[in-house]
Amino acid sequence: MSRHHRRKQRFKLSSFYVWHRYMGVSAAIFVLIVAITGLLLNHTEDFQFDSEHISSDWVLDWYGIRAPDTMQTFLAGDRYVTLMGEHLYLNRREIEGNFSQLVGAVAFKEAFIVAMTHSILLLTPRGELIEQLQDKDGVPANIKQIGIDANSAVIVKAGHDYYQPDADFIDWKKADKEISGISWATPSLLEPRLKTALQNHYRGEVLPVERVILDLHSGRFFGWLGPWLFDAAAILLILLALSGGWIWLKRRR
Amino acid sequence: MLRKPLLFLIAALLCTTLLAEAVYQQPDDFLSETFSGNVPEPAVIWIKGDRKEFVRQLLGHRYASLRVRYWRRNQRSAWVLEEIGKDLPITIGLVINDGRLEQIKVLVFRESRGWEIRHPFFTDQFDNAVLDENNALDRDIDGISGATLSVRAMKNMATLGLYLDAELRKQNVAPSP
Repeated sequence: MSRHHRRKQRFKLSSFYVWHRYMGVSAAIFVLIVAITGLLLNHTEDFQFDSEHISSDWVLDWYGIRAPDTMQTFLAGDRYVTLMGEHLYLNRREIEGNFSQLVGAVAFKEAFIVAMTHSILLLTPRGELIEQLQDKDGVPANIKQIGIDANSAVIVKAGHDYYQPDADFIDWKKADKEISGISWATPSLLEPRLKTALQNHYRGEVLPVERVILDLHSGRFFGWLGPWLFDAAAILLILLALSGGWIWLKRRR
Repeated sequence: MLRKPLLFLIAALLCTTLLAEAVYQQPDDFLSETFSGNVPEPAVIWIKGDRKEFVRQLLGHRYASLRVRYWRRNQRSAWVLEEIGKDLPITIGLVINDGRLEQIKVLVFRESRGWEIRHPFFTDQFDNAVLDENNALDRDIDGISGATLSVRAMKNMATLGLYLDAELRKQNVAPSP
């Protein structure tokens, strides 16, 4: 092999090496993102990423997550009972579970009685669920209103009939239709500060951390261009592996 | 030509996955069967104080509600308890006779995996189970591959039912007529 040919080969190898380095640098940021998020995804349960939620405003805004504008609120005693989406709140305290079709709420003795169309919730003032009563527990179906009668007892209107529970809310019986002096729960307006607090809380309960890590891992976090960028990075990595192998082989010769 | 049947098949599979709730027996039917059609009046036991702490340690979290309904005649009580397997609650019926687990049964299963716990080959392991001095089941229960969380939920509900029944007997609560 002539000296000229060897010099040409060396030049070719060094220019290839420069390309290899550029490709490495370009792919580095993507490698870091994919590697770190991959590590985290392998341990989602250990770190509870599946149950923890994102509360960062800019991330929630980036995902376009908004609290519903419409919410139902009833003032029961001195507490607001609010249904926002499927989230139910007693003042600021969220009640565990998913709920729908809030009919009304009343304060009764030291508890709060919340009526949904097909169930009744008994809550402590701290927002703990005492019991959720359903049709299997004798609660009438199709509840339309809840209120307190003249004897300070709870009464609900279901269909065209009225029903009242016993003292422990274990048994429900049809009440006399002629009952008068009932104070029915009526929708109320939520205090603006409480409304903002609930909207912020609602937003913070929607997006699991795992979702964001997955989106970072696949590139979807960066919008429609993200997956294409990560595809390009993957191709770069393939080329990097091939060119690295090729350079290593050439250098050995 | 195959497009329509294929779409239908995909839709059916999706629906099966999404609507995974399987009702094996309605709680009312379970109670009626347990008490031969003459179901006693329900009563409630509160999970407060020491009980609350025990339940928190047993389940790793609070029980869904502060009071639990039961049906009792003489020394025999029936319970309908709920516990989350992975994401959704499993409704489990228990019959306890004089402190021994007479029957445990999955009434409603809502999870997409782990439904095997409803079969007798698994539930038979609980027959006549009692609580030991540490308020734990007196025996080891063999798990089922792929149903770890459902198995754990069922073991926890068996323990919880026996514990609450023991608490009732401690109180010497008069059984319903």
